[in-house]
Order: sequence, then C-alpha cells, then structure tokens
Amino acid sequence: MTKAIERAIKRFFSIVRLPVSMVFVGVALMLVSCGGEKSDGGKARTAMDSTLVIAMLGDADYLNPVLGSSVTSGNIIGLIYPSLLQSEFDTETGLMNYVALEKKLRPTTAGQAQRSPQGAIAKSWSFSADHKMLTYTLRNDAFWNDGKPVVAGDFKFTYKLYGNPVIASARQQYLAELVGADKGQVDFDKAIETPNDTTLIFRFYKPVPEHLALFHTSLTPLPAHRWNKVKPTEFRNSPLNIEPLGAGPYHLKSWKQQQEIVLESSSKSNLPKPGTIPLITFRVVPDYTVRLAQLQTGAVDVVENIKPEDFTALLKANRQIDIKTVGLRVYDYVGWSNIDQNEYHKSGKILPHPLFGSARVRLALTQAIDRESIIDGYLKQYGVLCNTAISPSLKWAYNDRIVPHPFDPAQATALLKAEGWVPGADGILQKNGKRFSFTLYTNSGNARRNYASVIIQQNLRAVGIDCKLDVQESNVFFDNLHQRKLDAWMAGWSIGLEIDPLDEWGSDLNKSRFNFTGYQNPRLDQLCNLAKQKMEPTGAKPYWLEYQEILHRDQPVTFLYWMKETQGFSKRIEGAELNISGSFYNIDDWRLRPSANVAP
Amino acid sequence: MLRYIIKRLLLAIPLIFGLLTLIFFIIRLAPGDPAAFFIQPGISPKVAEQIRAQYGLNDPLPVQYVKWLASVLQGDFGRSFSRAQQPVIEVIASSLPITITIALLTLVANFTFGILIGIVSAVRQNSFLDRFLTVTALFFYSMPEFWFALMMIILFALKFPLFPVSGLNEIGAEGFGPVGFFLDRVWHLVLPVTVLSINGAAGIARYVRGSMLEVIRQDYIRTARAKGLPEKLVIFRHALRNALLPVITIMGSSLPFIFSGALFIEVIFAFPGMGRVTVEALLARDYPLIIANTFISGSLIVLGNLFADVLYAVADPRIKL
Repeated sequence: MTKAIERAIKRFFSIVRLPVSMVFVGVALMLVSCGGEKSDGGKARTAMDSTLVIAMLGDADYLNPVLGSSVTSGNIIGLIYPSLLQSEFDTETGLMNYVALEKKLRPTTAGQAQRSPQGAIAKSWSFSADHKMLTYTLRNDAFWNDGKPVVAGDFKFTYKLYGNPVIASARQQYLAELVGADKGQVDFDKAIETPNDTTLIFRFYKPVPEHLALFHTSLTPLPAHRWNKVKPTEFRNSPLNIEPLGAGPYHLKSWKQQQEIVLESSSKSNLPKPGTIPLITFRVVPDYTVRLAQLQTGAVDVVENIKPEDFTALLKANRQIDIKTVGLRVYDYVGWSNIDQNEYHKSGKILPHPLFGSARVRLALTQAIDRESIIDGYLKQYGVLCNTAISPSLKWAYNDRIVPHPFDPAQATALLKAEGWVPGADGILQKNGKRFSFTLYTNSGNARRNYASVIIQQNLRAVGIDCKLDVQESNVFFDNLHQRKLDAWMAGWSIGLEIDPLDEWGSDLNKSRFNFTGYQNPRLDQLCNLAKQKMEPTGAKPYWLEYQEILHRDQPVTFLYWMKETQGFSKRIEGAELNISGSFYNIDDWRLRPSANVAP
Repeated sequence: MLRYIIKRLLLAIPLIFGLLTLIFFIIRLAPGDPAAFFIQPGISPKVAEQIRAQYGLNDPLPVQYVKWLASVLQGDFGRSFSRAQQPVIEVIASSLPITITIALLTLVANFTFGILIGIVSAVRQNSFLDRFLTVTALFFYSMPEFWFALMMIILFALKFPLFPVSGLNEIGAEGFGPVGFFLDRVWHLVLPVTVLSINGAAGIARYVRGSMLEVIRQDYIRTARAKGLPEKLVIFRHALRNALLPVITIMGSSLPFIFSGALFIEVIFAFPGMGRVTVEALLARDYPLIIANTFISGSLIVLGNLFADVLYAVADPRIKL
C-alpha cells in the first residue's frame, strides 16, 4: 500500500516537474528573445522600410469583386483587379468624373486629383444619342498576372456572374437598366455584346444618363479563362477565391485569415504601374485602443476612424503622426416616427404618431436640442451642423441658402404650446391627458451617440419632455428599425455619391425600405422622379434645392451633424491624398520614407 | 473504472444533443438576421432573399432542423455564413492551435504559481509574507482582465517598449529563420500569457491556501511530524496531496477554457483564437458556427467533469468509481 502511495506521489511530482521546468524554459526563452530581438532589429527595420502596415478592424470577406462586400475587401480588390474606368471625385463641384485612357466624362478642374488615367482598361467610349447604347473600346496591352490578355469577354462573363441569383452578388443592382431587367431577367445576349476582344457594348432598355451608365457598367471583371469551369453553386466556396488572379498594381502574397493580408507590388503591371511601396500589409487589430497604441509605437502606419477625443494624447505621444480628414459623407440624426406604427402594423392605416405626428412638434424638438454643444463637446472641428440629407460636399446640389434651425428652447416651448402641449402637475408636458414621454433608442458600442443622447435627454427635459434612454444590441436595434417598431431613435446615415433618396423618404412605405419614420410627401416623390429623368445631373439642381427646403421645413427627423472621417497616418508615408471616395484612393502612388530619415 | 467512464460518455451523448437542439432553436428565434448585412441602400432587396435561400433559412423551422440533424449525424456541421462559407470545422481548426498554445501556457503557469504561492502562504500562515501574498493575490484576482491587459500594454509596450503591443509576429518575421521566428512568437506571447496567468494564479493560490490550512491541522500530519519526518517531506508528501483535491476540480473545469479561448485577451492582443470566433459568430448570427462552437464547449464541459472525477479517484483511494 505504502509503495502504491509512493508511486503515486512520484508520478505526481514527475507530472509537476515538467510544467515547472517548462515555465523556466519559457522564462529563459523570453530573456533570450528580448536579446535576440535586438540582433533581428536590423532585419525588422529593413522589412518595415519596404512594408506599409494598415490596421483594419476586421478581415476581408472575399477577395472576389463579385462577392466581396466589406470595406476592407473593397480596398484590397481595388488594388488587385483592373478596372474599366477610373472614377474620380471632384471636390470643387462635388460631381463624380469617369476617366478612360483617352477620354473623360467632364473636363478636369482644380478640385480633382491629377492622376494619370493609365489604370483604365477602356481606351475610349461612345454613347448613343438615345442614351441606350454604350460602346467601349478597350486597350490591347492589358494583361492578367498569368500573362493572358484582359479582353471584352472577361467583362461579359463577369456581368453574368453579377446577375446570377444563385451567386447573390450584392452588386446586382448595377444591372438594373440592362436590356431585359425590366422584365425581371437581364437578357445577356442582347444586353452585352463583344464583337471582338477590344469592343464591349452595353444596351439599356430605357434612356440612362451618361454618368450613371458609366458608373453601372464599370464593375470589376474576373479573368474568364480562370473561372469559367466553376459552377455557380460552387462559386462562393471555390478555392480560387483565396488565390485571386488580378492585373492591378498589387497581387496577393499571403492571406492568414483573421490575421493579415499581404500584398506585393506586381512588377509587370501596367494598370497603372507597379505599386511604389513593395509590400502592403493589412493587419487585423480588433480593439480600438490597441490600434491607437500600435500607431503610437509605429507598429502600424495607418489607423482609420480615430475618435476626436484621442487626438491630443496621440499627437503628444508621437510627433510622427498626422491626422488626415475626409468628408462629409456620414451624418447622425434623431429619428421620430411620423406615423402611428401600432395602427400601421395592425390595420395598415396611416395615422399621425400621437407624439411626433406633427411637423410643428418635430420642429420644436429640433429647436429644443442644442446640436452645437454636441459638436463642441465631442466632434469639435471635425463636425459640421447638418440641415438636410444632402452633404455640403456635394457642392453642385447643396442648398447653402438654408438657415439652420437655432437652439431656441423658448421658441420650442411656444410651438409645443400652440400644438396643445402644456405642462402637467409633474412638470412634464401633457395633451388630452397624455404625457409627452418616450424612449430614445440607440445601438450599443457607440461612444459618440451615447454622448449625444445624454445631452438630448437634458435638453428635452428642460422644455418639459420626458425622454428615457435605451441601448440595444446592434442586430436587434436595426431589426427593430427595419420593422418600424421604434418611436424615437438615434442612428446614422452614410450617403452615396449619387443622390438617390427615394429609398429613404419615398411615400410608398412598402417600397421605401429605409423610410423608418414613415414620412410621406408626394411633392418629394415627384422631385426625386423629375431629377432622375434629367440626363445631366446638374440639370436636376433646382429639384434638389427644393427637396432640401422641404426636409428642412418638415423635419421628418432631427438632423444632428455631419462627421469628417479622421484617419491617423504615420508621417513616413508621403504622397497620400485622401478622397471622399476612399482613404486609399491613390495608395499605389504612396511612398515610404526610410526609417533613417525619421526623427526619433 | 472503465465501465464508469463508458457509462458517463454514453450518458453525455443525449445531453449534448439536447443542448445542440436547444441552441438550434434559441438562435433562430432570437432577433436578428444572418442576411441583415445585405439589407442596405444600394443593394437590391432581392439579395437578402437570395442569401437566405442559399443558407436554407427559407424552409420551415422543423424542416431546417431535420436537414441540420441529418448533416450533423454525418459529422458535417455546415459552412460558416459570415466567414466566406468556409466549412465551420476549418474555421475552428484554424483558430484552435493559437487558443490551445495560449491556454496551455497559461494553465501551466496558473497551477504552478498558484500552488506554490498557496503552499507558502499556508505554511507561513499569518506571517508578513502570507499577508503580503494574500493582499497581492486578491488585488490581481479582482482586477478585470481587459483592463489589466491594457495597463500592461501601456506600461510594457508604450512607456517602456519592451514587448510588442499586439499580434502574433513582427512584420517580416518570416525572414528571421525558424529560430528567430519562434523567438519572435514567444516574445509576442509574453504579455498576454502573463496577464492571463497572474489573474488565474491568484485565484488558485487562494484555493490551495484554504485547503492546505485545513489539511495541515489533521491528525496524520501531526503524526508525520511526531515520527520525525523532515518538514519538507511532511508538507509536500503528506499534506499537499490531500490539499490538492479541490484544485483537481478546478483543473477539470479549466478544460473548456483551453478550447473556448479568452475573448478579451484575443481581442486586445489581436489573436485570431476561439474566443473571437465565438463572439463574432454570435454578432453575425452565423448559426452553423455558433452550433459547432457550442458543441465543442459543451462536450468539453462534460469531458472536463469526467476528467475531474477520474482524477479524484486516482488521487484519493477512498473514492471508488
């Protein structure tokens, strides 16, 4: 028996001895590695000199233009694959310009980056007088990385994939004007023709404005010779998705999922040219604080969406960091349900909401909220007061005659009184025995909205409105929003560079999926449709001016502020131009200063 | 004992199936939609519908359940919704090695330091050393992991840049050669493993101290001392073995942790481990991945408990299985 115990004890200690020794080995290794790191420092530094490191919040989903739908995927796909046209945003006019090798949609102005059009596959295009046929002439010196030429057939092949319901591409909307789309199914034989390798013809079933035709026909192609054996049902699972074959300035060197994507400059690329920086690494760093710390130590060079409250500390800690801003594409707003959703869900009848149904009440709410103080307290110079849904960056359409509704609690009280809302015994406004009390919902994990919602709560309390705050998990919040279940909420909106607001404000509540407020105004529908019929966007200017006046008057929501996107850049990056169409717009032209030249 | 183990394993099968069935229905009844990402302006309303059809979410719930059951019985947990339709087994297989490395290092450090500190504070009960260790252990035990991790980063990566802020390897580490690459990896693991083990060791030390104190007062310890055994032998051979019984329970319940990952540490140090896989799957309503993860953690909890029971029997001859 004692022998058995002894054996057990010996066994126990032999088990314990191993981990103890492992820990010691670990500590020893740690010390050695600290020393070893210095000897590897030289190598690490040369690696850093030729590598640009970009921190990203999440991994790319697909490096396939037909499927990729995350922002990261979009950025990387843009570097790997060729494009038919180059698109450029003109900051002077706020219009998009489309550029082929030998043709431009609009003359270049000073507000547009002077990029060489070498990246475009299209040499030129012609647009028929009836606005129904677009003919591209392609260059014959563009090649995929495997040496095969980029031909018109690649575009037709890929458009069929974009339109295939089994593949469920998020970009099938781009095919909405092609012949057959009005009957539910694009007729690819008629809609896209490729008489030879350098001619590509698109046909539309209705007249389409030229800029829209160019925008919708310039989706990124895949190499047909590589993909033509993949069945649509296997398209999403195909192993080719992780070995993309492109033709752009970079190609994929390695992809460690959920860790990093490394791109290498393609030495033979002429679309537009091999990337200047030899290697670009996109690193997944999910935690915001750690992204900041990495930027501070120089482990990464670019961190997107830095919060304004962190600028001072960041710039103080490391002078080699620069904050670059771009905008304005994103605004926050407080949504008020204009209609009584309970009644709408029950009987389909549209009745005004008992609290927010009147435009005058909504105006009073806007005037009761001190929007400037939210900007001063949180966004500072990176926020701009928002009046309507058209961004000041879209200069050609922006209505600068609109005077912002001032912060005026007295006027708000008067408006509410005129609507029959008078203070009750508890100090809260009442009308026919109903208290002015509601819950303002927002999604979790957004510090800016939390900050704003507290100010809004206080402001509303000051005029006798009881506003409770509630935060919901994002999935639940957006689900509730889509089902029009919330009375009042705070959310944001990111605008497209083409103005098309029917989804957001259209009166047909079944069709307008993003009209969460239930706002209805026939004149607004009319204006949007009139604007769509104009073949030149600037021709629709008067309609958009009136559209903004209506939104300003009716206040379907309280527009809060536009936000500049703020990106942290290491100063060793030279030549970076940020553009409203993307932070990595000219990344193939960026250069890295060698570390020897960077002051410590 | 073998019979006992087999019986327990057989009992575990209906238990785990019940668990999976429950999860299957709960996540489908919870608000949120796996295709929600595709409901946004500029994307045709048809897309979300097509995506749902691809995922097989348009079938009635009982049909979905039968289909799912059929494929799970063949060992196929399906493809992930949110991770480019990778088979969920592959997703898990790619994150497990990282999680296991961190967890094993942590567990070893946890138990080694925890047991050592626990013994010292019990043997020197009420001495200055004991008080100091107790207060320090409580201090670290009550500290939230994510905060502690951030503080360590600020201290050892920003103020005194000794260790990297995050990641598994330096940029260009592939060029360091195999030894250099390995050392670089170890260098990156120091901070996260330290954070995890300090937190864990503090807790274990408290357990060991408590049970050690109880054991030391037993008659057989007095007997051991009375017959003139050296103190070292008394403590390590006679007392420790009995004092470790409660620790074995903790060891068993730590098994799921090895595979489930430490979410906060993985997020903060940017490691693509199981914790992140699980939480991201939940947020994206990635049903197949959620179920596969539940399967793994559920099975491990069952196995962990079994493992602890068997260890009991090995350590304590009074327990017969």
